Amino acid sequence: MTLPQTVTAGSAFSVPTSGSGPAVLYIVGPDQALRRDVQLGNPVSIAAGDLYNAGEYLAIIVAGSSSSSGELEVTPAPHPDTLSFLATPSRVPVGLHNGINGAVYVFDAYHNLIVTPMPVSFELSGSSGPSQARTITTSHGVAWTEIDSASKQGSAKFIAQAGGIATTRVIDEVPGDPCGLTISAQPDGAKLRVQTALVRDCSGNPIPDGTIVTFTENYNGAQTTADVPIKKDIAQIDMPAYSGATISVASGVVAGNEIRWGGGR
Amino acid sequence: MKGILLAVVLFIATIGLLVIGTLSPIPTAVYYAGGKSLTRASSTPQDAVENLAVQIRQRSFGDAYGSLANRAEFTEPEFVQDLTGNTLSLRTFATLEDFETQPLHESADDAEMLLKLHWSTVVGPYETTRDLHVVRNGDRWAVDWPLVKAPHVPPQVIPVNYLRWDVIYSGAGDDWGAQDVQAPRIRIVDMRPVNRAEGVVVMGELLNEDIVPAFVGVRATLLSKSGSPIASEGAFDMISHTLLPKQVTPFLIRFPNVDLSQVGSIRMGPISVLVSASADPVVEIENQKYNLDPEASLTGQLSNQSGQTVNIAHVLSTFYDKNGQLVWVAGQYVDRALPPQTPVDFSVQVPEDLAKQISSERTIVATYSSGNSL
Amino acid sequence: MSLRILAAGCVLLFATGALADQPSVQVQPPDLQGSRPLEKQTAAAVVRDYLESWQKFRAALDQNQAALLDPDFVGTARTKLASAIGEQAKLGIHTHYQDESHKLQIVFYSPDGLSIQMIDNVEYDQQVLDRDRVLATQHVKTRYVVVMTPAEVRWKVRVFEATPE
Repeated sequence: MTLPQTVTAGSAFSVPTSGSGPAVLYIVGPDQALRRDVQLGNPVSIAAGDLYNAGEYLAIIVAGSSSSSGELEVTPAPHPDTLSFLATPSRVPVGLHNGINGAVYVFDAYHNLIVTPMPVSFELSGSSGPSQARTITTSHGVAWTEIDSASKQGSAKFIAQAGGIATTRVIDEVPGDPCGLTISAQPDGAKLRVQTALVRDCSGNPIPDGTIVTFTENYNGAQTTADVPIKKDIAQIDMPAYSGATISVASGVVAGNEIRWGGGR
Repeated sequence: MKGILLAVVLFIATIGLLVIGTLSPIPTAVYYAGGKSLTRASSTPQDAVENLAVQIRQRSFGDAYGSLANRAEFTEPEFVQDLTGNTLSLRTFATLEDFETQPLHESADDAEMLLKLHWSTVVGPYETTRDLHVVRNGDRWAVDWPLVKAPHVPPQVIPVNYLRWDVIYSGAGDDWGAQDVQAPRIRIVDMRPVNRAEGVVVMGELLNEDIVPAFVGVRATLLSKSGSPIASEGAFDMISHTLLPKQVTPFLIRFPNVDLSQVGSIRMGPISVLVSASADPVVEIENQKYNLDPEASLTGQLSNQSGQTVNIAHVLSTFYDKNGQLVWVAGQYVDRALPPQTPVDFSVQVPEDLAKQISSERTIVATYSSGNSL
Repeated sequence: MSLRILAAGCVLLFATGALADQPSVQVQPPDLQGSRPLEKQTAAAVVRDYLESWQKFRAALDQNQAALLDPDFVGTARTKLASAIGEQAKLGIHTHYQDESHKLQIVFYSPDGLSIQMIDNVEYDQQVLDRDRVLATQHVKTRYVVVMTPAEVRWKVRVFEATPE
């Protein structure tokens, strides 16, 4: 039996044999086990797609009580078919240096990791601003990169491409913490309507609706508070109208301004 | 011969006890035999109040209502609603465990009595107190029940268009390397362990830094000075589990029978998962007052700003000293439902030994509405 | 940190070498791609879990029981190994693997912390048996590229592939 030194995963090959009579060929490795009935003296054909898992194999010809064996190495197919693209985070604050990272494992059509070096291009393109692109060569089948998030909020496409195969991940670039949080108040019947100005982050992106803004009113030793979600870029609440009350605002760990209600405005 | 004599004596004694028990049973035996209640003749104001409390405990609301002197002023359903809540609330599932009575004033024809009712629920006990006027009617006394009428919310349409978040989770399969949505980013912004008589208490505050709602929990592991774990506990219900974006919740974790001197370090394990949630309801916490007397407590009213009844509300308060350092975290379930636009009182107790350290507080409300999650 | 990992590796080498039938293990300092720092505990856990996975791999291929793979293998690695076990069972053969030595080096820790890649220069004996009859025995010296990903309580092998040295 004369074995080829290496075989590409999924490709056809033949194993020449010597001698005569019937025998059995086993090709056994951790990931696959094959058996072929052979006529010694004739080559054994292994069809395309029969042996497809990369790895070390032991090929054995058994004829009666005797056997002979040899090593066979199956290497991944050279062309990528699948990219396992680990892109994180799925939501990232805007303007974050190296805030987005991606790692790509390159596999062939048989899910063998292609370990020969190969270029992988990464591109992050958002709804605004220029796209960012770079090409990284794989090492042991993996390539990775880190990219800054854009300064404007929106949904960005993070694309990894290798050998004509592209995989896309969606990254939500979201506003950061509120910046310059301010409130104003005006009478509303017996109550006081307190509302924020448009709530934005430090890059001018509107803070998403549903974000909690905490209003606190202090008057004569008593306190009134409310956690109010932002709706249409502002948060507002009716609070007791006490002349001389101080009202402050905060969102998360960000504090805003404080006003004193004087009865008129 | 002696054995036969003993048997005869025992037989006669048994028959005698059976006759006595049948003709003159003790009230407890009657109650547990399914007979009439534990009540006795209301020949004093004390008897009248105690009889009423027993009937409430037995949930014999019809008998309790029938015994009232002022029953003409309200209907039996109104009386039952006053005790159990007019809508689904903690009261609906509460059981009266015990009661105390205290005479305040008594004359020949009327009396004032204090009735403290100790209720138990799945989230712990609570207490209600009623000042009762008791009046004499012939040779019997009867209670004037001080009915607290459920606030009537006028029929109206309240438009609610707050945001709601829904989550499409990834499938159950192995989806490594596929598109996914990450868990919300959360952060412990304050943490302090304290030694208490009952053990170590770890408390702090947790912030949802993300733009999506989070279902959160916190677990703490106490490590000895050699680094080996002593105990691991979670915050259980001493935390608001659903946090909207940029919302902060306090948490408190108890480690009974552990002394802080045994602890070398603490490993905190905050967890968060994406959760469907609604920004509604908004609950305003009005007139919060920190009181040192008669007992240290934070009192105020919860005002439900939405159009939907909040069935169960859990008030969680964080108390700070004058330097802004965390002193204590306390919580209280409100036994009544929160109807729309109607203030409901609450009171959060503070340990007496910490009371004087407290300079400021921050309070949030976790809510449950039937059909929604916390 | 590298020195500490090397020292830990030497301890592991000593500890494992002291046990009969256990492979010798040498852990080389990481040659890391990726921006994420590798904690000593993480590196130790990955090596420990990988070596445990070899025990399950050996047992599963010897006994033709794919279920033995479940605690240690996931994804592609588990699918391929389980498929080979099914084919072995169908052919009436089983394979005895005996690993003699591992030279391990962590080469990649993904920035999200969700994968670690390791190179294992391994030597093992592979013995193919038809029931109790030994069909062939081969001493194999090869290099495995291994990708491990975190599961609930341990790291599991997700890619397990012998490659040209």
